[in-house]
Amino acid sequence: MRKLRILSGVATETGQGLRRGGWSNWLVVSILAIALTIFGGVLQLTMTLKNVVSSWGSQLEISAYLKDGYEPRSVAREVSQMPDVKLVEIVPKEVAWQEMQQAFKVAALNNPLPNTLHIQLTNVDSVEKTANRLKTVDSIEHVRYPLTVAKNLNRFRHFIEAAGVAVTAALTAATLMVIGNTIQLVIQSRHKEIEIQSLMGVSPWYIKGPLVLQGAVYGFASALVATAVIWAVRAYMDCYVTGQLVGLLPLLPAEVGYGMVPTFLVLLSLGTAVGAGGSAWTSGRYIKV
Amino acid sequence: MIRLQNVYKDYGGRPALVNVNLHIGMGEFAFLVGPSGAGKSTVMRLLYREEKPTSGQVLIGGIDITRLDRGQVPLLRRRLGIVFQDYKLLDKQTVFDNVAYILRALGVDNREIAKRVESALCVVNLEDKGDAYPDELSGGEQQRVGIARAIVNGPPVLLADEPTGNLDPVTSLEIVQLLEKISQRGTTVLISTHDQFIVNSLRRRVISLKNGQLAGDVDSGVYDMEAIGQTV
Ligand SMILES: Nc1ncnc2c1ncn2[C@@H]1O[C@H](COP(=O)(O)OP(=O)(O)O)[C@@H](O)[C@H]1O
Ligand SMILES: [Mg+2]
Repeated sequence: MRKLRILSGVATETGQGLRRGGWSNWLVVSILAIALTIFGGVLQLTMTLKNVVSSWGSQLEISAYLKDGYEPRSVAREVSQMPDVKLVEIVPKEVAWQEMQQAFKVAALNNPLPNTLHIQLTNVDSVEKTANRLKTVDSIEHVRYPLTVAKNLNRFRHFIEAAGVAVTAALTAATLMVIGNTIQLVIQSRHKEIEIQSLMGVSPWYIKGPLVLQGAVYGFASALVATAVIWAVRAYMDCYVTGQLVGLLPLLPAEVGYGMVPTFLVLLSLGTAVGAGGSAWTSGRYIKV
Repeated sequence: MIRLQNVYKDYGGRPALVNVNLHIGMGEFAFLVGPSGAGKSTVMRLLYREEKPTSGQVLIGGIDITRLDRGQVPLLRRRLGIVFQDYKLLDKQTVFDNVAYILRALGVDNREIAKRVESALCVVNLEDKGDAYPDELSGGEQQRVGIARAIVNGPPVLLADEPTGNLDPVTSLEIVQLLEKISQRGTTVLISTHDQFIVNSLRRRVISLKNGQLAGDVDSGVYDMEAIGQTV
Protein backbone atom coordinates (compact mmCIF):
# COMPACT_ATOMS: atom_id res chain seq x y z
CA MET A 1 0.00 0.00 0.00
CA ARG A 2 2.72 2.39 1.06
CA LYS A 3 4.82 1.49 -2.00
CA LEU A 4 1.80 2.04 -4.20
CA ARG A 5 1.23 5.47 -2.71
CA ILE A 6 4.87 6.33 -3.28
CA LEU A 7 4.61 5.20 -6.92
CA SER A 8 1.49 7.24 -7.39
CA GLY A 9 3.38 10.17 -5.91
CA VAL A 10 6.12 9.68 -8.49
CA ALA A 11 3.49 9.53 -11.25
CA THR A 12 1.86 12.72 -9.97
CA GLU A 13 5.21 14.48 -9.94
CA THR A 14 5.85 13.29 -13.50
CA GLY A 15 2.53 14.76 -14.58
CA GLN A 16 3.32 18.06 -12.89
CA GLY A 17 6.74 18.12 -14.51
CA LEU A 18 5.24 17.53 -17.95
CA ARG A 19 2.62 20.21 -17.39
CA ARG A 20 5.34 22.64 -16.42
CA GLY A 21 7.28 21.70 -19.56
CA GLY A 22 4.64 23.45 -21.69
CA TRP A 23 5.72 24.12 -25.25
CA SER A 24 9.13 22.55 -24.77
CA ASN A 25 7.40 19.17 -24.50
CA TRP A 26 6.18 19.60 -28.08
CA LEU A 27 9.58 20.68 -29.26
CA VAL A 28 11.27 17.63 -27.77
CA VAL A 29 8.62 15.23 -29.03
CA SER A 30 8.81 16.75 -32.54
CA ILE A 31 12.58 16.43 -32.74
CA LEU A 32 12.53 12.89 -31.40
CA ALA A 33 9.66 11.96 -33.67
CA ILE A 34 11.72 13.06 -36.68
CA ALA A 35 14.67 10.97 -35.53
CA LEU A 36 12.49 7.96 -34.83
CA THR A 37 10.65 8.32 -38.14
CA ILE A 38 13.96 8.22 -39.98
CA PHE A 39 14.98 5.27 -37.87
CA GLY A 40 11.72 3.44 -38.52
CA GLY A 41 11.94 4.17 -42.24
CA VAL A 42 15.50 2.89 -42.43
CA LEU A 43 14.51 -0.17 -40.43
CA GLN A 44 11.67 -0.89 -42.86
CA LEU A 45 13.91 -0.32 -45.84
CA THR A 46 16.74 -2.53 -44.63
CA MET A 47 14.39 -5.29 -43.60
CA THR A 48 12.65 -5.14 -46.96
CA LEU A 49 15.96 -5.16 -48.82
CA LYS A 50 17.13 -8.09 -46.75
CA ASN A 51 13.98 -9.94 -47.66
CA VAL A 52 14.51 -9.12 -51.34
CA VAL A 53 18.08 -10.33 -51.19
CA SER A 54 17.22 -13.52 -49.41
CA SER A 55 14.38 -14.24 -51.78
CA TRP A 56 16.82 -13.79 -54.65
CA GLY A 57 19.16 -16.00 -52.75
CA SER A 58 16.58 -18.66 -52.28
CA GLN A 59 16.26 -18.88 -56.03
CA LEU A 60 19.90 -19.80 -56.29
CA GLU A 61 20.33 -23.48 -56.92
CA ILE A 62 23.15 -25.94 -56.63
CA SER A 63 23.15 -28.63 -59.28
CA ALA A 64 24.64 -31.95 -58.31
CA TYR A 65 25.33 -34.53 -61.04
CA LEU A 66 25.21 -38.10 -59.86
CA LYS A 67 27.53 -40.89 -60.79
CA ASP A 68 25.97 -43.66 -62.79
CA GLY A 69 24.53 -46.50 -60.85
CA TYR A 70 23.35 -44.59 -57.83
CA GLU A 71 19.70 -44.38 -57.00
CA PRO A 72 18.77 -40.65 -57.23
CA ARG A 73 16.04 -40.91 -54.62
CA SER A 74 18.31 -42.24 -51.89
CA VAL A 75 20.97 -39.63 -52.68
CA ALA A 76 18.29 -36.96 -52.56
CA ARG A 77 17.22 -38.22 -49.16
CA GLU A 78 20.81 -38.04 -47.93
CA VAL A 79 21.27 -34.54 -49.30
CA SER A 80 18.05 -33.28 -47.81
CA GLN A 81 19.40 -34.19 -44.35
CA MET A 82 22.23 -31.69 -44.74
CA PRO A 83 21.99 -28.39 -42.89
CA ASP A 84 20.64 -25.35 -44.77
CA VAL A 85 19.04 -27.49 -47.47
CA LYS A 86 15.52 -26.35 -48.16
CA LEU A 87 14.43 -28.38 -51.13
CA VAL A 88 15.88 -31.14 -53.28
CA GLU A 89 14.45 -31.73 -56.72
CA ILE A 90 15.35 -34.83 -58.67
CA VAL A 91 15.77 -34.52 -62.42
CA PRO A 92 16.12 -38.12 -63.72
CA LYS A 93 18.42 -38.44 -66.69
CA GLU A 94 15.58 -39.72 -68.84
CA VAL A 95 13.60 -36.56 -68.31
CA ALA A 96 16.61 -34.37 -68.95
CA TRP A 97 17.45 -36.28 -72.08
CA GLN A 98 13.94 -35.99 -73.43
CA GLU A 99 13.92 -32.28 -72.87
CA MET A 100 17.26 -31.93 -74.52
CA GLN A 101 16.25 -34.00 -77.50
CA GLN A 102 13.17 -31.88 -78.00
CA ALA A 103 15.11 -28.67 -77.64
CA PHE A 104 18.06 -29.48 -79.83
CA LYS A 105 16.84 -32.25 -82.08
CA VAL A 106 19.82 -34.37 -81.10
CA ALA A 107 20.27 -37.79 -82.61
CA ALA A 108 19.07 -40.84 -80.79
CA LEU A 109 22.24 -41.72 -78.97
CA ASN A 110 22.62 -43.53 -75.73
CA ASN A 111 21.55 -41.15 -73.00
CA PRO A 112 24.83 -39.42 -71.97
CA LEU A 113 23.29 -37.30 -69.21
CA PRO A 114 23.60 -38.02 -65.50
CA ASN A 115 20.84 -38.00 -62.98
CA THR A 116 20.74 -34.51 -61.48
CA LEU A 117 19.65 -33.00 -58.19
CA HIS A 118 18.60 -29.36 -57.97
CA ILE A 119 19.19 -28.19 -54.44
CA GLN A 120 17.72 -25.03 -52.95
CA LEU A 121 19.07 -23.63 -49.72
CA THR A 122 17.45 -21.79 -46.86
CA ASN A 123 20.34 -19.43 -46.67
CA VAL A 124 22.54 -17.75 -49.27
CA ASP A 125 25.51 -17.73 -46.95
CA SER A 126 25.87 -21.46 -47.13
CA VAL A 127 26.08 -21.94 -50.90
CA GLU A 128 29.79 -22.55 -50.92
CA LYS A 129 29.82 -24.59 -47.74
CA THR A 130 27.03 -26.85 -48.93
CA ALA A 131 28.61 -27.24 -52.36
CA ASN A 132 31.84 -28.37 -50.75
CA ARG A 133 29.98 -30.78 -48.56
CA LEU A 134 28.20 -32.19 -51.63
CA LYS A 135 31.52 -32.73 -53.38
CA THR A 136 32.54 -35.15 -50.67
CA VAL A 137 29.51 -37.34 -51.25
CA ASP A 138 30.59 -40.52 -53.08
CA SER A 139 27.59 -40.73 -55.32
CA ILE A 140 28.04 -37.21 -56.61
CA GLU A 141 30.25 -36.79 -59.62
CA HIS A 142 30.23 -33.07 -60.04
CA VAL A 143 28.71 -29.99 -58.44
CA ARG A 144 27.88 -26.70 -60.11
CA TYR A 145 26.89 -23.57 -58.22
CA PRO A 146 26.62 -19.80 -58.82
CA LEU A 147 29.43 -18.76 -56.50
CA THR A 148 29.95 -15.21 -57.73
CA VAL A 149 26.28 -14.38 -57.54
CA ALA A 150 26.07 -15.82 -54.07
CA LYS A 151 29.12 -13.87 -52.96
CA ASN A 152 27.75 -10.61 -54.32
CA LEU A 153 24.39 -11.16 -52.73
CA ASN A 154 26.10 -11.82 -49.43
CA ARG A 155 28.22 -8.74 -49.71
CA PHE A 156 25.13 -6.69 -50.47
CA ARG A 157 23.29 -8.16 -47.52
CA HIS A 158 26.14 -7.48 -45.14
CA PHE A 159 26.32 -3.94 -46.43
CA ILE A 160 22.63 -3.44 -45.72
CA GLU A 161 23.05 -4.86 -42.25
CA ALA A 162 26.01 -2.63 -41.50
CA ALA A 163 24.17 0.42 -42.79
CA GLY A 164 21.19 -0.47 -40.60
CA VAL A 165 23.41 -0.82 -37.54
CA ALA A 166 25.15 2.48 -38.29
CA VAL A 167 21.88 4.36 -38.71
CA THR A 168 20.48 2.78 -35.55
CA ALA A 169 23.56 3.77 -33.58
CA ALA A 170 23.55 7.33 -34.92
CA LEU A 171 19.86 7.88 -34.24
CA THR A 172 20.02 6.27 -30.81
CA ALA A 173 22.89 8.60 -29.95
CA ALA A 174 20.92 11.58 -31.29
CA THR A 175 17.86 10.57 -29.27
CA LEU A 176 19.94 10.12 -26.14
CA MET A 177 21.44 13.55 -26.65
CA VAL A 178 18.11 15.27 -27.14
CA ILE A 179 16.60 13.57 -24.09
CA GLY A 180 19.73 14.14 -22.04
CA ASN A 181 19.87 17.86 -22.87
CA THR A 182 16.18 18.31 -22.20
CA ILE A 183 16.33 16.61 -18.83
CA GLN A 184 19.48 18.54 -18.01
CA LEU A 185 17.59 21.79 -18.64
CA VAL A 186 14.74 20.53 -16.46
CA ILE A 187 17.21 19.71 -13.70
CA GLN A 188 18.80 23.14 -13.98
CA SER A 189 15.47 24.89 -13.78
CA ARG A 190 14.54 22.81 -10.76
CA HIS A 191 17.85 22.78 -8.95
CA LYS A 192 16.41 24.69 -6.02
CA GLU A 193 13.55 22.24 -5.62
CA ILE A 194 15.88 19.30 -5.94
CA GLU A 195 18.10 20.77 -3.23
CA ILE A 196 15.06 21.21 -0.97
CA GLN A 197 13.90 17.66 -1.61
CA SER A 198 17.32 16.33 -0.79
CA LEU A 199 17.54 18.39 2.42
CA MET A 200 14.16 17.03 3.51
CA GLY A 201 15.48 13.49 3.15
CA VAL A 202 13.47 12.53 0.07
CA SER A 203 14.89 9.35 -1.51
CA PRO A 204 17.12 9.93 -4.53
CA TRP A 205 14.94 7.72 -6.66
CA TYR A 206 11.83 9.65 -5.67
CA ILE A 207 13.62 12.75 -6.94
CA LYS A 208 14.94 11.13 -10.11
CA GLY A 209 12.00 8.84 -10.83
CA PRO A 210 9.75 11.56 -12.25
CA LEU A 211 12.56 12.74 -14.53
CA VAL A 212 13.18 9.22 -15.81
CA LEU A 213 9.46 8.77 -16.41
CA GLN A 214 9.33 12.11 -18.18
CA GLY A 215 12.06 10.93 -20.54
CA ALA A 216 10.20 7.67 -21.09
CA VAL A 217 7.01 9.57 -21.90
CA TYR A 218 8.90 11.72 -24.42
CA GLY A 219 10.34 8.61 -26.06
CA PHE A 220 7.03 6.80 -26.15
CA ALA A 221 5.07 9.77 -27.47
CA SER A 222 7.66 10.40 -30.18
CA ALA A 223 7.57 6.76 -31.18
CA LEU A 224 3.79 6.95 -31.49
CA VAL A 225 4.09 9.96 -33.78
CA ALA A 226 6.79 8.23 -35.81
CA THR A 227 4.63 5.13 -36.05
CA ALA A 228 1.71 7.18 -37.35
CA VAL A 229 3.90 8.90 -39.94
CA ILE A 230 5.43 5.67 -41.19
CA TRP A 231 2.06 4.01 -41.31
CA ALA A 232 0.64 6.87 -43.37
CA VAL A 233 3.60 6.83 -45.76
CA ARG A 234 3.30 3.07 -46.19
CA ALA A 235 -0.42 3.33 -46.85
CA TYR A 236 0.27 5.99 -49.49
CA MET A 237 2.99 3.92 -51.11
CA ASP A 238 0.82 0.83 -51.16
CA CYS A 239 -1.92 2.76 -52.93
CA TYR A 240 -0.03 4.77 -55.49
CA VAL A 241 3.57 3.74 -55.77
CA THR A 242 3.89 0.00 -55.46
CA GLY A 243 1.40 -0.58 -58.23
CA GLN A 244 3.62 1.32 -60.64
CA LEU A 245 6.87 -0.11 -59.35
CA VAL A 246 5.81 -3.70 -59.77
CA GLY A 247 5.58 -3.17 -63.49
CA LEU A 248 9.03 -1.60 -63.57
CA LEU A 249 10.79 -4.10 -61.41
CA PRO A 250 9.92 -7.59 -62.45
CA LEU A 251 12.93 -8.67 -60.46
CA LEU A 252 11.20 -7.70 -57.24
CA PRO A 253 9.68 -10.86 -55.89
CA ALA A 254 6.18 -10.56 -54.53
CA GLU A 255 5.64 -10.58 -50.76
CA VAL A 256 8.96 -9.07 -49.77
CA GLY A 257 7.42 -6.23 -47.80
CA TYR A 258 8.59 -6.39 -44.24
CA GLY A 259 5.66 -6.35 -41.82
CA MET A 260 5.06 -3.04 -40.09
CA VAL A 261 4.10 -4.45 -36.71
CA PRO A 262 7.66 -5.49 -35.80
CA THR A 263 8.89 -2.05 -36.85
CA PHE A 264 6.32 -0.39 -34.63
CA LEU A 265 7.14 -2.61 -31.69
CA VAL A 266 10.83 -1.89 -32.11
CA LEU A 267 10.12 1.84 -32.40
CA LEU A 268 7.91 2.00 -29.32
CA SER A 269 10.16 -0.07 -27.11
CA LEU A 270 13.37 1.53 -28.32
CA GLY A 271 11.88 5.03 -28.02
CA THR A 272 10.67 4.41 -24.49
CA ALA A 273 13.85 2.66 -23.39
CA VAL A 274 16.14 5.29 -24.85
CA GLY A 275 13.97 8.05 -23.36
CA ALA A 276 14.10 6.53 -19.91
CA GLY A 277 17.76 5.55 -20.23
CA GLY A 278 18.84 8.98 -21.43
CA SER A 279 17.13 10.76 -18.60
CA ALA A 280 18.28 8.22 -16.02
CA TRP A 281 21.84 8.75 -17.13
CA THR A 282 21.50 12.54 -17.05
CA SER A 283 19.75 12.49 -13.68
CA GLY A 284 22.47 10.30 -12.25
CA ARG A 285 25.08 12.61 -13.60
CA TYR A 286 23.62 15.97 -12.59
CA ILE A 287 21.71 15.17 -9.43
CA LYS A 288 24.07 14.39 -6.63
CA VAL A 289 21.96 13.54 -3.67
CA MET B 1 21.79 13.98 21.21
CA ILE B 2 24.29 16.07 19.28
CA ARG B 3 28.00 15.61 19.79
CA LEU B 4 31.02 17.01 17.98
CA GLN B 5 34.36 15.42 18.87
CA ASN B 6 37.61 17.10 17.87
CA VAL B 7 36.00 18.36 14.72
CA TYR B 8 38.31 20.03 12.26
CA LYS B 9 37.02 21.30 8.96
CA ASP B 10 38.82 23.19 6.26
CA TYR B 11 37.71 24.33 2.84
CA GLY B 12 40.62 23.89 0.47
CA GLY B 13 43.21 24.44 3.21
CA ARG B 14 41.43 27.36 4.90
CA PRO B 15 40.25 26.22 8.33
CA ALA B 16 36.57 26.90 9.09
CA LEU B 17 36.32 24.87 12.30
CA VAL B 18 39.27 24.06 14.54
CA ASN B 19 39.10 21.32 17.14
CA VAL B 20 35.48 21.85 18.14
CA ASN B 21 34.04 19.73 20.95
CA LEU B 22 30.39 20.13 21.74
CA HIS B 23 27.59 18.25 23.39
CA ILE B 24 23.91 19.08 23.36
CA GLY B 25 21.65 16.78 25.36
CA MET B 26 18.30 15.40 24.44
CA GLY B 27 15.54 18.00 24.57
CA GLU B 28 17.99 20.85 25.06
CA PHE B 29 17.63 24.27 23.50
CA ALA B 30 20.78 26.12 22.49
CA PHE B 31 21.95 29.08 20.45
CA LEU B 32 25.07 28.84 18.34
CA VAL B 33 26.38 32.38 18.01
CA GLY B 34 29.26 34.15 16.39
CA PRO B 35 29.94 36.82 13.80
CA SER B 36 29.57 36.12 10.15
CA GLY B 37 32.25 33.67 9.04
CA ALA B 38 32.70 32.18 12.50
CA GLY B 39 31.67 28.72 11.28
CA LYS B 40 28.02 28.46 12.42
CA SER B 41 26.68 27.29 9.09
CA THR B 42 29.56 24.87 8.77
CA VAL B 43 28.53 23.24 12.07
CA MET B 44 24.96 23.02 10.79
CA ARG B 45 26.01 21.55 7.45
CA LEU B 46 28.08 18.95 9.26
CA LEU B 47 25.05 18.02 11.32
CA TYR B 48 22.80 17.43 8.33
CA ARG B 49 25.63 15.83 6.37
CA GLU B 50 25.84 18.44 3.66
CA GLU B 51 29.54 18.44 4.54
CA LYS B 52 31.91 15.98 6.16
CA PRO B 53 34.54 17.10 8.66
CA THR B 54 38.15 16.96 7.60
CA SER B 55 38.75 15.07 10.81
CA GLY B 56 36.84 14.31 13.99
CA GLN B 57 33.46 12.82 14.65
CA VAL B 58 29.91 14.13 14.41
CA LEU B 59 27.36 12.11 16.35
CA ILE B 60 23.61 12.41 16.35
CA GLY B 61 21.71 10.13 18.68
CA GLY B 62 24.95 8.21 19.23
CA ILE B 63 25.51 7.53 15.53
CA ASP B 64 28.65 8.80 13.84
CA ILE B 65 27.09 10.41 10.81
CA THR B 66 30.45 11.00 9.14
CA ARG B 67 30.42 7.26 8.39
CA LEU B 68 27.00 7.15 6.75
CA ASP B 69 27.14 6.23 3.08
CA ARG B 70 25.27 8.27 0.52
CA GLY B 71 22.19 6.09 0.60
CA GLN B 72 21.79 6.58 4.34
CA VAL B 73 21.91 10.38 4.27
CA PRO B 74 18.18 10.73 3.42
CA LEU B 75 17.38 8.51 6.41
CA LEU B 76 19.37 10.86 8.66
CA ARG B 77 17.69 13.94 7.24
CA ARG B 78 14.22 12.51 7.81
CA ARG B 79 15.09 12.38 11.51
CA LEU B 80 16.15 16.04 11.48
CA GLY B 81 13.99 19.09 11.06
CA ILE B 82 15.98 21.74 9.22
CA VAL B 83 15.03 25.41 9.07
CA PHE B 84 16.87 27.83 6.79
CA GLN B 85 17.44 31.55 6.63
CA ASP B 86 15.89 31.70 3.14
CA TYR B 87 13.01 29.33 4.13
CA LYS B 88 13.62 27.05 1.12
CA LEU B 89 9.94 26.53 0.35
CA LEU B 90 8.68 24.99 -2.89
CA ASP B 91 7.20 28.15 -4.38
CA LYS B 92 4.94 26.37 -6.88
CA GLN B 93 3.21 24.41 -4.13
CA THR B 94 0.73 25.49 -1.52
CA VAL B 95 1.59 25.75 2.15
CA PHE B 96 -0.21 22.48 2.79
CA ASP B 97 1.67 20.70 -0.01
CA ASN B 98 4.99 22.08 1.18
CA VAL B 99 4.44 20.70 4.64
CA ALA B 100 2.98 17.45 3.30
CA TYR B 101 5.76 16.86 0.79
CA ILE B 102 8.02 14.57 2.79
CA LEU B 103 5.07 12.56 4.08
CA ARG B 104 3.86 11.95 0.53
CA ALA B 105 7.35 10.96 -0.56
CA LEU B 106 7.34 8.43 2.28
CA GLY B 107 3.99 7.01 1.20
CA VAL B 108 2.00 8.08 4.25
CA ASP B 109 -1.72 7.78 3.58
CA ASN B 110 -3.76 10.87 2.87
CA ARG B 111 -5.80 10.89 6.04
CA GLU B 112 -2.71 10.62 8.18
CA ILE B 113 -1.05 13.35 6.09
CA ALA B 114 -4.00 15.70 6.57
CA LYS B 115 -3.94 15.07 10.30
CA ARG B 116 -0.23 15.62 10.72
CA VAL B 117 -0.02 18.66 8.42
CA GLU B 118 -2.94 20.32 10.16
CA SER B 119 -1.41 19.75 13.54
CA ALA B 120 1.97 21.11 12.36
CA LEU B 121 0.27 24.18 10.86
CA CYS B 122 -1.60 24.58 14.12
CA VAL B 123 1.65 24.63 16.10
CA VAL B 124 2.93 27.50 13.94
CA ASN B 125 -0.44 29.25 13.91
CA LEU B 126 -1.07 28.95 10.20
CA GLU B 127 -4.02 26.57 10.22
CA ASP B 128 -5.98 28.87 7.89
CA LYS B 129 -3.17 29.37 5.35
CA GLY B 130 -2.96 25.84 3.96
CA ASP B 131 -4.17 26.84 0.51
CA ALA B 132 -1.94 29.90 0.19
CA TYR B 133 1.22 29.93 -1.90
CA PRO B 134 4.50 30.98 -0.31
CA ASP B 135 4.70 34.25 -2.25
CA GLU B 136 1.36 35.30 -0.78
CA LEU B 137 2.82 35.17 2.72
CA SER B 138 4.98 37.53 4.76
CA GLY B 139 8.55 36.54 5.60
CA GLY B 140 7.58 35.56 9.13
CA GLU B 141 4.72 33.42 7.84
CA GLN B 142 6.98 31.75 5.30
CA GLN B 143 9.44 30.90 8.03
CA ARG B 144 6.61 29.45 10.08
CA VAL B 145 5.75 27.24 7.12
CA GLY B 146 9.40 26.20 7.10
CA ILE B 147 9.12 25.28 10.77
CA ALA B 148 5.88 23.37 10.24
CA ARG B 149 7.58 21.41 7.48
CA ALA B 150 10.56 20.73 9.74
CA ILE B 151 8.43 19.28 12.53
CA VAL B 152 5.77 17.47 10.52
CA ASN B 153 7.60 14.15 10.62
CA GLY B 154 8.22 14.43 14.36
CA PRO B 155 12.02 14.73 14.31
CA PRO B 156 13.95 14.39 17.58
CA VAL B 157 16.33 17.16 16.48
CA LEU B 158 15.59 20.55 14.94
CA LEU B 159 18.38 22.59 13.36
CA ALA B 160 17.79 26.22 12.40
CA ASP B 161 20.55 28.10 10.59
CA GLU B 162 19.98 31.84 11.02
CA PRO B 163 16.21 31.35 10.90
CA THR B 164 15.62 35.04 11.62
CA GLY B 165 18.29 36.45 9.34
CA ASN B 166 15.73 37.89 6.91
CA LEU B 167 13.17 39.02 9.49
CA ASP B 168 12.51 42.16 11.52
CA PRO B 169 13.21 42.07 15.30
CA VAL B 170 9.62 41.54 16.43
CA THR B 171 9.00 38.72 13.96
CA SER B 172 12.40 37.26 14.82
CA LEU B 173 11.46 37.07 18.46
CA GLU B 174 8.16 35.36 17.56
CA ILE B 175 9.99 32.78 15.49
CA VAL B 176 12.52 32.02 18.20
CA GLN B 177 9.79 31.77 20.80
CA LEU B 178 8.01 29.34 18.53
CA LEU B 179 11.16 27.22 18.31
CA GLU B 180 11.46 27.36 22.09
CA LYS B 181 7.86 26.14 22.37
CA ILE B 182 8.73 23.24 20.07
CA SER B 183 11.73 22.33 22.22
CA GLN B 184 9.42 22.13 25.21
CA ARG B 185 7.73 19.19 23.52
CA GLY B 186 10.99 17.26 23.82
CA THR B 187 12.74 18.20 20.57
CA THR B 188 16.43 19.06 20.74
CA VAL B 189 16.77 22.51 19.15
CA LEU B 190 19.93 24.21 17.91
CA ILE B 191 19.61 27.71 16.47
CA SER B 192 22.50 29.55 14.87
CA THR B 193 22.29 33.31 14.88
CA HIS B 194 24.29 36.48 15.06
CA ASP B 195 21.33 38.46 16.41
CA GLN B 196 22.10 39.47 19.97
CA PHE B 197 18.61 40.79 20.63
CA ILE B 198 16.90 37.40 20.39
CA VAL B 199 19.69 35.65 22.25
CA ASN B 200 19.55 38.11 25.09
CA SER B 201 15.76 37.99 25.22
CA LEU B 202 15.61 34.26 25.82
CA ARG B 203 18.55 33.71 28.15
CA ARG B 204 19.11 30.12 27.18
CA ARG B 205 22.28 28.15 26.55
CA VAL B 206 24.66 30.08 24.31
CA ILE B 207 27.53 28.40 22.46
CA SER B 208 29.93 30.93 20.96
CA LEU B 209 32.19 30.46 17.99
CA LYS B 210 35.06 32.70 17.05
CA ASN B 211 37.10 32.08 13.93
CA GLY B 212 36.02 28.48 13.91
CA GLN B 213 36.93 27.85 17.51
CA LEU B 214 34.72 27.38 20.53
CA ALA B 215 34.89 30.67 22.47
CA GLY B 216 32.27 30.12 25.12
CA ASP B 217 29.46 27.85 26.28
CA VAL B 218 27.16 29.23 28.97
CA ASP B 219 23.76 28.16 30.26
CA SER B 220 21.28 31.03 30.58
CA GLY B 221 23.76 33.18 28.74
CA VAL B 222 23.78 36.35 26.74
CA TYR B 223 25.40 37.27 23.48
CA ASP B 224 28.95 38.05 24.61
CA MET B 225 30.33 40.32 21.91
CA GLU B 226 33.73 40.60 23.50
CA ALA B 227 34.28 36.88 23.84
CA ILE B 228 33.77 36.37 20.15
CA GLY B 229 35.41 39.59 19.03
CA GLN B 230 32.32 40.97 17.34
CA THR B 231 32.28 44.72 16.92
CA VAL B 232 28.81 45.57 15.65
N1 LIG C 1 31.65 26.13 0.60
C1 LIG C 1 32.67 26.86 1.10
N2 LIG C 1 33.83 26.94 0.41
C2 LIG C 1 34.86 27.65 0.89
N3 LIG C 1 34.84 28.31 2.04
C3 LIG C 1 33.72 28.27 2.78
C4 LIG C 1 32.58 27.54 2.35
N4 LIG C 1 31.61 27.67 3.28
C5 LIG C 1 32.13 28.43 4.25
N5 LIG C 1 33.39 28.80 3.96
C6 LIG C 1 34.26 29.59 4.82
O1 LIG C 1 34.29 28.98 6.09
C7 LIG C 1 34.22 29.95 7.10
C8 LIG C 1 32.99 29.71 7.98
O2 LIG C 1 31.82 29.94 7.19
P1 LIG C 1 30.36 29.71 7.75
O3 LIG C 1 30.32 28.39 8.41
O4 LIG C 1 29.42 29.93 6.62
O5 LIG C 1 30.22 30.85 8.82
P2 LIG C 1 28.92 31.52 9.41
O6 LIG C 1 27.74 30.69 9.08
O7 LIG C 1 29.20 31.59 10.85
O8 LIG C 1 28.84 32.88 8.82
C9 LIG C 1 34.20 31.31 6.41
O9 LIG C 1 35.52 31.79 6.37
C10 LIG C 1 33.72 30.99 5.02
O10 LIG C 1 34.29 31.89 4.11
MG1 LIG D 1 25.96 31.19 8.05
